[in-house]
Parts: sequence; C-alpha cells; structure tokens
Amino acid sequence: MSEKNITMPVSADEQVNSNQTRRSFLRKSVAVAGGAVIAAAAAGRASAGAQVTEPLAIPPTNKILGRGVVSVPYGLPSKYEAHVVRRNVEWLTPDTIASISFTPLQDLEGIITPNGLHFERYHGGAVDIDPSTHRLVVHGLVDKPMIFTIEDLKRFPQKAAFWFLECPANGAMEWRGVQMDSLQFTHGMISCSEWIGVSLLDLMKAVGVKKEATWFYGEGADGAALQRSVPLPGAKDQFGKPLPEFDTNEIYKDVIVAYAQNGEALRPENGYPIRLIVPGCEANLSVKYLRRIKFVDKPLVTYQETRHYTDGMPDGRFRQYTLVNEANSVVTFPCPDKKMSGKGSYEIRGLAWTGRGKVKAVDVSVDGGKTWKEAKLLDPVFSKCLTRFTLPWEWDGKEALVMSRVTDETGYVQPTLRQLREQRGSNSIYHKNSIQTWKVLPNGEVHNVQIENL
Amino acid sequence: MFKSKISKTALAAGLMAFSSMSFAGDAAFNGIGKTIDEKAIAPWAISVHFDGDGLPAGKGSVAQGEPIYQAKCAMCHGEFGEGAKGYPKMLGETVEQIHALAAKDEDTVGVRGINSLWGHAPTLYDYIRRAMPFFAPQSLGNDEAYATTCYVLYIAEIIKDDKTVCDASVLKATKMPSQDNFYTDPRPDIKNARCMNDCMKEAPVVKEMAVVGVGKDASSGKTAADH
Ligand code: HEC
Repeated sequence: MSEKNITMPVSADEQVNSNQTRRSFLRKSVAVAGGAVIAAAAAGRASAGAQVTEPLAIPPTNKILGRGVVSVPYGLPSKYEAHVVRRNVEWLTPDTIASISFTPLQDLEGIITPNGLHFERYHGGAVDIDPSTHRLVVHGLVDKPMIFTIEDLKRFPQKAAFWFLECPANGAMEWRGVQMDSLQFTHGMISCSEWIGVSLLDLMKAVGVKKEATWFYGEGADGAALQRSVPLPGAKDQFGKPLPEFDTNEIYKDVIVAYAQNGEALRPENGYPIRLIVPGCEANLSVKYLRRIKFVDKPLVTYQETRHYTDGMPDGRFRQYTLVNEANSVVTFPCPDKKMSGKGSYEIRGLAWTGRGKVKAVDVSVDGGKTWKEAKLLDPVFSKCLTRFTLPWEWDGKEALVMSRVTDETGYVQPTLRQLREQRGSNSIYHKNSIQTWKVLPNGEVHNVQIENL
Repeated sequence: MFKSKISKTALAAGLMAFSSMSFAGDAAFNGIGKTIDEKAIAPWAISVHFDGDGLPAGKGSVAQGEPIYQAKCAMCHGEFGEGAKGYPKMLGETVEQIHALAAKDEDTVGVRGINSLWGHAPTLYDYIRRAMPFFAPQSLGNDEAYATTCYVLYIAEIIKDDKTVCDASVLKATKMPSQDNFYTDPRPDIKNARCMNDCMKEAPVVKEMAVVGVGKDASSGKTAADH
C-alpha cells in the first residue's frame, strides 16, 4: 500500500469508483485531508483547554550524575518497563514445570522478541547445562556416526536467519468461545529471533546420511528428553501413506542446530546450549537441550505425536503430523492490553506470519469484516518470520470491530473462526489461526470478541 | 608491482609458510567432531518406535507394576488412573465415546486418556521409561518400566488379564484402541477468499467474553486447554 495517509473506514465513494482520474484525484485529496486532520488534531488538543501555559520544570535527572559504565554489566530494561514480562495462566496446567508462558506482544515493537521475553514451553522444566560437557550425537542411517562438542559445532559454516517459533496451541483457549481478554494470552505463544547455528544439511554431509533415511528425530538432554520425528524426502507415516510434499521436501532444508539467539548464546529457557530449529513448524519440533539426532526410515510416533500435538476432528478421528503453522495474524494495537486514549489519529499495528514462506499481504477491517483495506508491510519481510503491518486510522470515538487477515505467498488466506469450526469442530486444540477480532468501545476499552457469522 | 621474478617466488613461498590450505570452494568439515561407536551411544539410544523397534530385553507383570504405580504415579494420575490435581488421566473415555462426543461438538479435550488417544503400546513404554515418574525421570529400570507400563495398560482397560506379563513381544502385539484413529495432515483444508468490499450481507453477530477479564485473573476456574 503506497498511500500513507488513507484513513479508515474507506468512504463508499472511493470503493465504488473505478474512474482512474477521479480515483487519483481522490487519493490526492485524501492525502491533503490527512494533513488537515493532523493540524485539526493539534488544534483540537489546544482547544480542549489543554494548552500548556505553566513554565516547564527542569527534570531532576538534569541535575545529577548517572550510573557509571558496567554498574550493570549485563544491561536490564528501565525500571519503568517492569510490567513487560512473560506471564502464565495458573489454571491452564497443574504446575509450572510442564507448562507454558506467554510473550507480552502488546509491549513489543518490530519483529524481534527480546531473549528474556521469548515464550517458554517446558515438558520437564528448564535445566542448566554445562556447555563444556554437553555433546551432540548424530547417528542412525549414516556412514559414520559422530559426536560433536559445542566448539566443534561452531567450526561448521554458520547459517543464520530470522524465524518465528510458535506453539501450535497458540489460541487454543479460544476454540469454544472467547476466554482470554488479552493479546498476551490469545497470541503470546509466539516469538521471533535471529537464530544462528549449523545447517542440518552440513551435519548430514559430515556423517554421510544414507538414501534409506526418510525421517530424523532430535532428542533433548532434559527431564522430558523430548523427541520429535521430522520428515525427509520420501517420508511415510506408520500406515505407509506419504506425508505432504511440502513437509517432506521443504521443511528439513531450513533446519539448523542453533547455538545463538539474537546475538548471544541461547537462553536456558530456550534450550541452552543447543537446540533444533525447525522453521515454520510447530515449535515442539524444535527440540531444546539437543543431545542426539538420529536418521531413521520411519517415524517414532512418540508421546508428542500421538497423545499430544494431534488435532481432534468432528468425526472423532485425530490428525497427525500437522507440522506446519499456517498463516496467521493479529492486531497488536489496539488490543485489550493497550487501550485507546481518545478519538483522533492512530496507527493500527500488528503482526503476521506463515510457516509456508513469506507474508504477501495483510488486510485490516474496522467494521467487523464488511470492508477491508490493505495495510502496509514494514521491512523486512522474511520467510517464516514475523512481519509487521501498519495502517493509519482516524478513530471517530465510536464502537469498532478491528481485525486483520493475512494472505501468504502460496495464496492461502487466513480463515475465519466460523470456517475453522465448520471444518474442524472445537476439539482440535492446535493450529487455531483464525482471524482475531478486537471490539473497541467508545470509552477506549478494547475487548476480545468473536464474530460468529463472518 | 614486483621488481623481479625472484621476489615473486619469495612472496609465494612466504604465503605458503603461513597457510598451506587454500580457501575451499565447498565447505569442508575436516577435523570437526569425532566418530563414535554405536555401542558407546547405546546408553542414550533409548528411543522406541511405534512398531516396537528399540524395545529392550526384560519383562514386568501387571502385579509387579501395581506397587510401583501406587507409590510413584497414583498421586498425580489417580489410584485408578482417573487423574488427580489436574494431571492427565490414564483411563479416559473410550474411542467410541470420543467419536460420539466429537460428533455433538462436546468437549473431548478433558476426557482423553491412554485408552482414548495413544496409538501404540511400545511408545507408551518409551515415554514412561524416559519421562516418568515426573519428579524422577529415567529412574525406572527396564523391567520396572515394563511392569509399570503393563499396569497402566491394565488400568486403562487395554490389557484385560491381570496375570499379564509384559515384554517386547507382548507390547508389540497389544493393539491400542486408537491405533487406526489417526490420519496424516490434509491441510490446507480451508479456502477463505480475500474479499475487500461488501463482504458480509448481515450485521456481524458478536460473541463477547462470558466473564470479562479472565485472562488477567489467573485463579478463575475455566476449562483448561490441554496441549
Ligand atoms: C508429580 C506428578 C506426576 C507423577 C508422580 C507422575 N506423573 Fe505422569 N505425568 C505428569 C505430567 C505433568 C504429565 C504431562 C507431561 C507433559 O506435559 O508433557 C504426565 C504424563 C504422563 C503420561 C502421558 C499421559 C497423557 O495422557 O498425557 C503417562 C502415560 C504418565 N504420565 C505415566 C506416569 C507413570 C507410569 C508414573 C509413575 C511411574 C507417573 N506418570 C508419575 C505428572 C506426573
């Protein structure tokens, strides 16, 4: 979208007009009007009796000396940002060891999640592993099984990219109805980082993976010793049916064994000293505290592939190997955690992502889905990475239903909740990527709602 | 630049002294890592496939499993496998009941157990041996893990005979009720259209929160999502 100053909702005039000259004329006038709106808003503030007449006080910090260097050797956020933290939902899990915490998306800017705010998902808690004793074994259907130290892994060519990690249960509490009145809890099982490590393809070359290998799995060195099977070309399920082509031929090519995250070593919560990253896929595949990779010719059908991470359908059967996180998006401002502060000019902001490549476009609606306007995608737009979108919005102070809808490079359009439920019922738990609606009230409050008939 | 042939040769020789290796066109991995014997890996190689590949030698009976389960598992999974304190059930609704509930779109998430949703007995053994009891993972020996798995299968009403002794061949032969209740991902399964104007004929039907602010009140007793 190139016109920066278009305001929403779109005038009926502009929607129906197909005359190019008239349209570009309109566009210009909208831009001018946009400028006028800003001026009017400034004037509005002044006329609201808020004109500043009191002489400004000198900030106390102007009159003191601050802290010296390395007084905080590892820097921390301002004490005024203490509310920006991961949070959990106590009733969701019986304890905090096999549990999940949520990233405060409402307080984050850009596409990168600060390491200390990356959502946590444990099946056996976070452990502290000494990197000097940690080893990675790569074996199975290979010419020479090998063992690597962390130093060894760092000698391999580096592969780095910006990728999101998302728990497929993101949004799980909302299948049956509105439950969480908070962006952090409806969408906070996602984070995005620059991940740095060794390409799986290089490790495969180093050990000489045999042609018969059609799957591999990673396994953790923590109490959960979590293991997940990842398909390779030729992968078939336990019934002998081939997995989808994208899953067998594309997913593994991006896989890395990561040792760094956003410029520093992985955090213990995120798998220190090494973890798998399986970009675009449900994050459970990206095994933390990685100790072993085995190349095999069939899946494990382990705990995480049968009892969990399988999606219950209306016919009572369960979908298995639902690996890819399909396109999803959410408006991060306004949202229940970040209210409106009076009518006037705003920018609707949000995040979009897809496990199948790049985000192509994001459309925004403020009228509950009747009309949509294409938002602007902010650079960078990377594959399997969070993408920012924005759209200027002139809020008239009336009730609004704000939502976003992503289209990815495969042409897939983010579904509505009704479409998801019609196809999958309400027992799926996982992969709820439907359009999210926020209801903005005249008093500026924002609430989570669902539109039944969209 | 160079004045004589000699200085060129000398320079080349000098370079050789610093590095005898040229930049590799293709990345090489010489000297990185060590090879390792499968026998040396054995203590780590504890994974069991769905078909029983990887099950160790050993055995354990339902009767031997009962005291282990009651001492080390029942506090979280219930004396009869009914679950406790929010921890998972061993005995849930049957596959048939799951089908019936799902058809009515009633909740099946909170009623799942080993009998409702676990495709293969060998991977149950794998999981119990690798991750349970929760407070002391990988503390059960191979025989204890067989006995405990045998008992869990018994209280989940999959093994019916309380005289059963479980070993690799018994677990391979045990057909789990949900074994054929899985199928591989058919997505993308939904086709939405990128409508821009006049996308809804009627006014939006808006469903609000039952209780506003649940997300911030972590103590509220709503149904837990199980993931
Ligand atoms: C302190 C509580 C606790 C104890 C004691 C415990 N478990 Fe568990 N169990 C859990 C938790 C928590 C999970 C889920 C872990 C996760 O999220 O991955 C679980 C999962 C399981 C599962 C998978 C079931 C499912 O439906 O998800 C089985 C099987 C199991 N435990 C068996 C056992 C056995 C056998 C023992 C005793 C040897 C045992 N557990 C002891 C807490 C416990």
